[in-house]
Amino acid sequence: MKMFATPWVRTQTGGTTKAVPVMPDAASRIINNAKRPVIAVGAAINDLGDELVERVIKLHEKGIPIAATAHSVKFFERKGVRDVYEVGIIELTNLLTDPEWSGVDGSGPPDLVIVIGINLDLTNQTFQTLKNFTDIPSLSISRYFMANANYSFPNIDDEIWLLYLDELVWKVKERGQ
Amino acid sequence: MSKHEKIKIKKLTSPLLNMGDVEIEFGKIEDDWEEPQGPTPKPGVVALRNWDRRLMERYEPFYTPVCDMCCLCSYGKCDLTHGKRGACGIDSKTQQARMIALECAIGAAAHGAHSRHMVEYQIEKKGRDYRIDMGLNIATEAPIYRTIIGERPKTLGDLEDGMDYAEQQLQHIVSSLHTGMEGDFKDYESKAMHAGMLDNLVMEIGDIAQVIGYDFPKGESDVPLSELGAGTIDKEKPVILIIGHNVVPGVEILTYAEAYEKADRIELAGICCSAHDLIRKNKSAKIIGPMSEQVRFIRSGMADVLVLDEQCVRVDLLEEAKKVKTPVIVTTDKIGLGLRDRTGDGADQIVDDLASGKEPGAMILRPEKVGEVAVKLAERVFPTRNKLRTIPDKDEIKSEAARCVSCEECQRACPVNLHISAALKDAKSGNFDSLAELRERCIGCARCDSACKKGIKPLSLIEGASDYIIKEDRYNVRVGRGPILDTEIRNVGPPIVFGEIPGVVVFAGCSNYSNGGREVAEMAEEFLKRRYIVVVSGCAAMTIGKYRDEDGQTLYEKYPGNFDAGCLVNVGSCLTNAHILGAAVKIPHIFGRRNLRGNFEEISDYILNRVGAVAVVWGTYSPKALAIGTGLNRWGIPVILGPSGSKYRRLYLGRKDKEEKWDIYNARTGEVVNADPTPEHLVYVAESKEEAIIEIARLVMRPNDNVKGRQIKLAHYIDLHKRYYGTMPGDLHYYIRQEGDIPMTMKPEIKAILEKKGWKERVIPDPTLVERLVWKKKDKEDEKDKKEEGR
Ligand code: SF4
Ligand code: SF4
Ligand code: SF4
Repeated sequence: MKMFATPWVRTQTGGTTKAVPVMPDAASRIINNAKRPVIAVGAAINDLGDELVERVIKLHEKGIPIAATAHSVKFFERKGVRDVYEVGIIELTNLLTDPEWSGVDGSGPPDLVIVIGINLDLTNQTFQTLKNFTDIPSLSISRYFMANANYSFPNIDDEIWLLYLDELVWKVKERGQ
Repeated sequence: MSKHEKIKIKKLTSPLLNMGDVEIEFGKIEDDWEEPQGPTPKPGVVALRNWDRRLMERYEPFYTPVCDMCCLCSYGKCDLTHGKRGACGIDSKTQQARMIALECAIGAAAHGAHSRHMVEYQIEKKGRDYRIDMGLNIATEAPIYRTIIGERPKTLGDLEDGMDYAEQQLQHIVSSLHTGMEGDFKDYESKAMHAGMLDNLVMEIGDIAQVIGYDFPKGESDVPLSELGAGTIDKEKPVILIIGHNVVPGVEILTYAEAYEKADRIELAGICCSAHDLIRKNKSAKIIGPMSEQVRFIRSGMADVLVLDEQCVRVDLLEEAKKVKTPVIVTTDKIGLGLRDRTGDGADQIVDDLASGKEPGAMILRPEKVGEVAVKLAERVFPTRNKLRTIPDKDEIKSEAARCVSCEECQRACPVNLHISAALKDAKSGNFDSLAELRERCIGCARCDSACKKGIKPLSLIEGASDYIIKEDRYNVRVGRGPILDTEIRNVGPPIVFGEIPGVVVFAGCSNYSNGGREVAEMAEEFLKRRYIVVVSGCAAMTIGKYRDEDGQTLYEKYPGNFDAGCLVNVGSCLTNAHILGAAVKIPHIFGRRNLRGNFEEISDYILNRVGAVAVVWGTYSPKALAIGTGLNRWGIPVILGPSGSKYRRLYLGRKDKEEKWDIYNARTGEVVNADPTPEHLVYVAESKEEAIIEIARLVMRPNDNVKGRQIKLAHYIDLHKRYYGTMPGDLHYYIRQEGDIPMTMKPEIKAILEKKGWKERVIPDPTLVERLVWKKKDKEDEKDKKEEGR
């Protein structure tokens, strides 16, 4: 286990900013404080079979909308979850740079972007755009520390990652309550 | 065309004068081209700025910085994060655009310098007046040249005119990159597009020069298959390996070997585009594969002599070659590697010095001498080198794996995040399968080797574990055919423009794949089966050849090589990308009867609105690929990149949800109408193969599709969406303009969806983005011209 907060991809430093490393408890508070969070879920969400998909669905059941990027929509469909917003991660990031965008559910632009299961290059580039051209904070709940997000899980292995996600699911409050 | 003309006078006698062998050169003479000169012959840096801005109004540049800072000058480093400006006043978007313009200029210069050498070399061999003859079925010999330069090149010498223009323009572009120049990101983007367009031009010039100079195939679709893969190499023979993109030294090696009847006694093989071009000259040469094979193949020890030319050559190859005692010959002024210039020395002396190990290599700038030295040297070192290799055997892998401390630094350096240390754990206990499994996704970059503090070389261990895979590395690739015939364009022009051939899908570019090369072959086959036209070039063309179906056939064996529905066309090396664009340019000319001459904007407008072509550059990494792609964008052709392409830091994205962005002129009436959002983007990054497939099906749609054509395109789009995403697409209401567009068998289902979305019918316009191309205006202008002519 590598519980440290240096960019997993050593060169993904960006420059003058660095994400705050967060554990599940802090991550859940960030999510609970957001009014309109969205969770962007990529095609790698299937990499550990159902394990990750099921945890993301539990977050979704607490009222966080899902932006399903690439073919990840297929994994939700299989689980009978149909109310996901299908969009490319690049398109989503572009929409997020538009303050007038009505958001994934029409309720207005998100005020927190949570990312999981997206190709490492694309995840980093998404954070770079958000950091430079928007005021929307970002949170990475991938197993790799992403320095260009505002907040990120540290580098952890698969087993710990699943435990982190369990804790997160447990601590994230149901929306509207 | 207008050109320099020479008159030779053998003997002139008059009462006043008596002279012989006089040569008089005239400046410019206009010739018989019936096309009137268009508005932008030899466009300057800002001549097409309005067109670029019109494109960018719809396809806004989207930036994703790789670095938050700028370190161009010593005011810096400057922090540009989140709205900050540098000491020169530049902001982050403009800085990203400057980097894009810089990369495009580098790419164009790389192709340009190569093409300049090619033109000079062919002129030296054939003479300046050697005629450009692209064969009976090609009258439009240089569609890009005609459109940009506004002239028809007739001889090798004429091509120099195009090179002069491109080189002069590049200087202006590069100068604008200096501190304290552009302050508007769209102006830098326009310069990037200009550099991209120049890149497209010089590629066409370079390839025409080599096609006519070397008598390469001129668009014949029945070109033969050539062998592909390291497994095809006969190790019992001396092997000469060429790497790079300039085929001249390779051809001279062939010529020398043939002249001295040694062709059967040596193996000539190549990596990257020089190999592509070599098989256009002689199919008996072999292609090892794309750039990812460079280090692996040299470490395998199979190459007895290594000949390097230019572009995408790893710069550590001399070091790698020394370890396996392979002498290196560098052959261009672009790559010296610190080696002594031996161009003026005798061939036998050079062979002695390199064979004895006195010097690890030599620079030889005369291609003919390279030919002689390479062949003699390969024969000389073959028995003593004994195919010395640095790839470990299984025992060595085991002991190396035992030294691994699982720090995972190799994985953290790996561009594709391969789980190397986990595989090494298995190897330590004698199971080599996990290591071998990494090979398919490994791009051969050797960053893992550099990262390992223990001195372990994971790349070599992966290679050593994969010996059985390498033995099976025996495939084929269809020889690059070069241009698309005018006759083919005549046949497929109408069904492409109306949408009945659902699209032309191009797979081009490098081998920096995020998830292995197999995906490129899978994408190609998906669209071949659906009878799209699939065109390939460069590394992608090699990658596609390296997969077989259940019956053991490669795609080249399964699909014919014509430019027609359901066919797989390999045009050849990087330079031949110009012929893919050339085919798109010929459609408005041959089918649409548009003039090419100096008429860039009208031709691009036609392509953007009518020609359903899309290029996929799945493993992109190079500035050249960016230049090619940015050029294609200016011509109106969308490009899809793989995930690593996001690090180019700029895309051009449309917003289908913003209706006003899709206003367009209906050329028939002059009215501004709201068209469907097609093509939706100009450069897009797909996260997965599945997303790329869906995006291809979307991006081949054009506002000009007739209802039958749109029905066909939508039927494929829906089917692919169901197959790869498991759902019905949620955006059909954007692409259905009238009820007739709905695929027949899905009418009730789709009509219900449209109703829910509040869908409204749209006109199908005669689309143009350019107001002066509205028919009425055009007619009026023509009338005015006629009146003026009559005066
Ligand atoms: S070019 Fe401008 S932003 Fe870049 S280092 Fe110099 S002053 Fe700073
Ligand atoms: S050589 Fe292969 S395993 Fe090593 S870093 Fe590059 S891609 Fe990864
Ligand atoms: S960097 Fe070297 S020691 Fe560390 S895990 Fe990789 S191979 Fe093992």
